[in-house]
Amino acid sequence: MFSFVRRRMYTSALPLIIVLIGVFLLARLTGDPTNLYLPESATADQRAEFAAANGFNDPLITQLIDYFKGVIHLDFGTSLSTGESASSMALRAFPATLQLAFATMLLAIIGAVVIGCWAAYRPNSLADRFSSLLSMTAASIPDFWFAITGVWLFAVLMGWLPTSGVDAGILSWILPIATLMIRPLGVLTQVVRGAMVSALSAPYVRLARSKGASDFRVVTHHALRNAAAPALTVAGDLAVGLINGAVVVEAIFGWPGIGKLMIDAILQRDFAVLQAAVLLTAVSIFVLNIFIDACYALLDARVREPAKV
Amino acid sequence: MNPATSTIRRRLSALALAGVTVAASGCTVANSGGGGYDPDTLRVVLSQEPPTLEPCDGSLTSTGIVVRSNITEPLVERDSNTGDLQPLLATEWEQTSPNEWKFTLRDGVTFSDGAPFTSEDAAFSINRAVNSDLSCNVDGYVFGDEELSLQTPDANTVIVGTTEPDPILPLRISFVEMVPRTTSMTEKVREPIGTGPYAIQSWDYGQQLNLARNATYWGEAPAFAKARYQWRSEGSVRAAMITNDEADIATGLGPEDGAGDLGVPFQNNETTALRIFTEEAPLDDIRVREAINYSINRSGIVKAIFRGLGEPAAQLIPEGVVGFNAEIEPWPYDPDKARELVAAAKADGVPVDRQIRLIGRNSQFPGVTETVEVMQSELANAGLNVKIEMMDTAAQLQYQLRPFPDNSGPFLALIQHGNQAGDAAFSVDQYMSVDGAQSSSGTPAFDEKISAAGKLIGEERQNAYEQIFADEPNEIAAMAYIAHMKGILGKSARVDYTPNPATGDEMLLAAMTPAASDRTDQS
Repeated sequence: MFSFVRRRMYTSALPLIIVLIGVFLLARLTGDPTNLYLPESATADQRAEFAAANGFNDPLITQLIDYFKGVIHLDFGTSLSTGESASSMALRAFPATLQLAFATMLLAIIGAVVIGCWAAYRPNSLADRFSSLLSMTAASIPDFWFAITGVWLFAVLMGWLPTSGVDAGILSWILPIATLMIRPLGVLTQVVRGAMVSALSAPYVRLARSKGASDFRVVTHHALRNAAAPALTVAGDLAVGLINGAVVVEAIFGWPGIGKLMIDAILQRDFAVLQAAVLLTAVSIFVLNIFIDACYALLDARVREPAKV
Repeated sequence: MNPATSTIRRRLSALALAGVTVAASGCTVANSGGGGYDPDTLRVVLSQEPPTLEPCDGSLTSTGIVVRSNITEPLVERDSNTGDLQPLLATEWEQTSPNEWKFTLRDGVTFSDGAPFTSEDAAFSINRAVNSDLSCNVDGYVFGDEELSLQTPDANTVIVGTTEPDPILPLRISFVEMVPRTTSMTEKVREPIGTGPYAIQSWDYGQQLNLARNATYWGEAPAFAKARYQWRSEGSVRAAMITNDEADIATGLGPEDGAGDLGVPFQNNETTALRIFTEEAPLDDIRVREAINYSINRSGIVKAIFRGLGEPAAQLIPEGVVGFNAEIEPWPYDPDKARELVAAAKADGVPVDRQIRLIGRNSQFPGVTETVEVMQSELANAGLNVKIEMMDTAAQLQYQLRPFPDNSGPFLALIQHGNQAGDAAFSVDQYMSVDGAQSSSGTPAFDEKISAAGKLIGEERQNAYEQIFADEPNEIAAMAYIAHMKGILGKSARVDYTPNPATGDEMLLAAMTPAASDRTDQS
């Protein structure tokens, strides 16, 4: 198992470096931050001084090498906007995003397993149609609209929930999670349903039934375990999207996460913060992918060992 | 049961349990402050978090709205309703020679850390903001290239010297917030110490900023013991926080955000306009520039897009700012005349078919996208070839501030100018002089008028700037003014406060008081 994880680490390191270089270069293509940070009537000398102080006058390759040197020494630079360490800002914001992503995926997986199994167990039943409706709805509702409508309905009209913020305990979580969850729930439900329909018609399930296993046991112990692999793959992809920052949700609900931080950094041309945030999320996605692969390997021995010829 | 299966199940169960534990760990979000309703706390929601509370960047709206006259204070303060300068940390000021102003400081003022405020601090603060290498925004916005000399003959007197006579130096000084002389001269500070009615209690970056009453404040104690700032980028969410009783004050609302009766319209200092880049054809032809002015249906835009929250504009500054010319009427909406002018220019060989870029900034003001689309349609009707380009702030600033990008081609920049200082000098210098930071036109002769006006005081100054605004459409014609804007402030029934033209830039918490009804009755 350890060698499997080690192999995956090696193969994932290269994409990580490519992502960092790409973000570094693309960020600088978005334009000069000088106008945002200097007074409107700054002189040419002041502008030159600002550019020199922040290394913007150096050739791009020199800036890139300096950046990687800093990364090796865990120095990710200083925010132009706040003067704070960029890594501190990213590390402060990231746990809030992780919490939100984790809670969302957990609830989405539980909901998808329950609804998907139910729909597969009774094809063309009410549950099956409900799961289809859920998927279509999830695919078609913009999360921005869902969030704003949720605020209007449950906060302003009914007064049950806070509009935004993180001060109201568990109530603060409901609208952000509901907004984030709707799409993963719809997608995962269809994946679980499809996998379960196949699994429930497999010979080993018929064998289990013939040996007298109850319906509940057949679904949960025999079919679901074999249907878990494709669901795990899709759940992993969806989780990666959430870890990358739930930008819309974080912006609307004032959630102090990394998605909002990254958007602000882009708008402010705050390169150090953007790079630190991307590095942190990229590493997290890298770790998550290894974790998912490890789960895969646990579920399926064929994945653990390379094919022997 | 298969042992391997059992192991997998145990591991996955442990993982799920860990997840539940993390997610439900008190349901407390990392990086959050928590807290419930407190009737002694004034709750303010802004559109963005201040990047810094550095006082010398107080002319930046997102910083100034929190720090100015709440945490730190200047020597003198401009009354935004009357335009008069009021004593604050200085009780008197006078021009003692053409190039010198003397400020007499108030006795008994201390900083929130207990240190006394003296002329040494005043001189240090001015020197730090204006003469240092900190690139303070106040320096660029208010003082330009000016270097000031400072003397402190005694603990209560500071003398400010200028290289040229400056009749409005006290107005400029009103932008310099006082900080203790222990403040860094080489680095900006994010959480300053000041003499204001409030002091910073805590700042949970990304989440909220808490101020507490300054126990050592020299003036009358503010009504609210604490103030809590939060920020939400969505206007509709800020409005919902007011209607849902989660905030007492919300800034930057639009008419469509849904604050209803709790949204208070107020005249702000902002004026919207198209600034015309006159160096490229066809915009270098004055007939085309006049056609642009005739094409814009200002009343229609104000009524339909701004929902009546504004007035058609004829000049860069609104009423109440020194130099405002009440005699100038907005350009009439005359699409036929516009078409005639474009046709005449075309007949003379002006390439009116050349594509003109209409550059706007996303979210600059409520209805900005619709405004740009309406103007593009109107200019197309006049016979011009106009393409809309909406940009984020950093990209748009490249076209708003000199030096403009090379090979930009002809462009119209939609700008919103706010004159925080209340004097036309702060608008005219930037937008109409040849070297103005935001100017794309100008003539040496017009520069002389601007320079001469800046040296005058009183009625002569008023008249000179009035004349500049009257002459600009004839001599330069590089602007198409759209509207003097109004803002909407969300205000809960718990608070008494009347917004003024400066509210968007400098929102005085001490001016807010609990409403006559008991606040706790409504919680």
